[in-house]
Amino acid sequence: MTGIVLDQASWSAGGTPIVAPTSLAFAPDKVNVILGPNGAGKSTLMKIAAGRLRPTGGRVLLDDRDIFAIGAKELALRRAFLSQHVEIDFAITVEEVVLMGRYPHFARAPGHEDRRIVDAALELVGMSARRRQIYPTLSGGEQQRVQLARVLAQVWDDTATPAPRTIFLDEPVASLDIHHQLQILDLIRTLPARRCSIVVTLHDLNLAFDYGDRFVFLRDGQVQAIADDSVDISPNLIRQVFDVSATGHNDHAGKRVLRFHL
Amino acid sequence: MAARHRSWGQIHLLLACALVAAVLLSLSIGSFYFSPAQIFRFVGHWLGLAPIAPEEALDLNVFATLRVPRVLLCGVTGATLGVSGALMQGLFRNPIVEPGLAGTSSGAALGASTVFVFGNTALAFTSPLGTAAVPVMAFVGGFLATLLVYRIATLFGHTDVLALLLAGIAVNAMCNAGTGFLSYIARDPQARNITFWNLGTFTTADWRGTLLVTAIFLPCLWFILRRGKDLNALMLGEDDAAFIGFDPDKLVFRLLILNTLIVSVATAMVGVIAFVGLIVPHMMRLLRSSDYRFLLPASALFGALLMEAIDVVARIVIRPAELPVGIITALIGAPIFLWILLAYRRRIAT
Repeated sequence: MTGIVLDQASWSAGGTPIVAPTSLAFAPDKVNVILGPNGAGKSTLMKIAAGRLRPTGGRVLLDDRDIFAIGAKELALRRAFLSQHVEIDFAITVEEVVLMGRYPHFARAPGHEDRRIVDAALELVGMSARRRQIYPTLSGGEQQRVQLARVLAQVWDDTATPAPRTIFLDEPVASLDIHHQLQILDLIRTLPARRCSIVVTLHDLNLAFDYGDRFVFLRDGQVQAIADDSVDISPNLIRQVFDVSATGHNDHAGKRVLRFHL
Repeated sequence: MAARHRSWGQIHLLLACALVAAVLLSLSIGSFYFSPAQIFRFVGHWLGLAPIAPEEALDLNVFATLRVPRVLLCGVTGATLGVSGALMQGLFRNPIVEPGLAGTSSGAALGASTVFVFGNTALAFTSPLGTAAVPVMAFVGGFLATLLVYRIATLFGHTDVLALLLAGIAVNAMCNAGTGFLSYIARDPQARNITFWNLGTFTTADWRGTLLVTAIFLPCLWFILRRGKDLNALMLGEDDAAFIGFDPDKLVFRLLILNTLIVSVATAMVGVIAFVGLIVPHMMRLLRSSDYRFLLPASALFGALLMEAIDVVARIVIRPAELPVGIITALIGAPIFLWILLAYRRRIAT
């Protein structure tokens, strides 16, 4: 059981390469952070790795099987994906949205276990009190937490689901204030203990260094560097990837802290 | 949550009871009045329980060859439009779509018109199909029109309301122009058939058409009702539906075909009936929930119920003449559509 591995996977649209041939294994039961400027191909890379976009070259493997040979339902038990923003135009309650995460687990009607997991996932994101509220009436930050609960419910740690499971999070804190950013990231930080591998894109480098275990730097669809420790990240790499100068020090916890200027 | 599911079922049951009452009312009222007692005698006669008096033979004949197929066709058409509205709103991920708006009905009317005008000439290849050529061409027309609107409305990944409305207007105008042109060049008996499509009516109901519509509708309905979870998942968008284990492309394509099939066949038989597909699911959403496991059966039941009620009104309001039901639905439906649209725009704005 090796989890998701990219084997020279690439993707191009209309002849324009968006993601260059990439070979990459995500660290199992760790927080993998993908970092790069806008348009670097972060979202595309995640959608390829999640089996949503078929790579135009190379392969994506899940436990050494081609991910596109795995049925949609089976794949849904092994990986979940939190999109940047999920808009729903219909009057549907918070708990009905979270229950959707359990859809791959039941055929017609949800079982007792599905109900229990929905409750627990809502509890975990602090939205239990809002469970009967209509989703479109929530604030952007609250909607994001409900979607996170849905994603967690999908790959909840139960004995029926084979590990490792991978959760992809595409800029999960982009629309949140700092308090909710830290709340969500603290929660994400606890997920590897539930035998989940995390693949997340973040824009704030210092937050990424605080919460990540492995850092994948992407620019123009090409992996520039992979670091397993933030102290290894040099100002040169930052300049190469983001076109900014960085000065930094390591704080008392051994994490990299950077300041940026043009 | 168990209680919530029971109450979904209870609402369905209440709607079903109301539908039975509406069907009985619809069976008895019209240019001929049949009392409930008389209807029960007819049913008893068919079941071989009790023969009817000879002086009732004419009544029985009218009831069996005109009234019963009409009421059945009316119910099936209403259920078709109701369930189709809910389904299309799910597919477009937007609560203001219905088969009239999305071009399905007018495309189907255009397709059916071509058979009447060109059935013996340019479309002579359809003649082996016999009378089935009309619903077949209605399906082709309805499907092409719907696909065009769907592609334009979802061009940018999500459903753009403005693009949807404009594409619907344009495609409807094109189809109506085509139908208008055909009725203009058609010789008389054909032309009468064409113009009635713009004002749906059940007066032409006969057993053959009614059975055809019903035979196509029931298996499609069975399949559609099983897709409630899939349509719920689609609320999240195509990507997120895929991430929870559904194949959105396959789902949208299959349901669009089924939807076009039932709407086209009904349209070929009764003409264009606007706004029922919009009002019915909307009221069911307000009544209980937008969860498609509830909404699809509720919309089918309430669609049939509403259609029976409107047809009863159509039969009695200018007695002894009849009003085409399409006029009544447009009269009631258009203001409600505007109200829904404004409420929707206001919510988007805030």
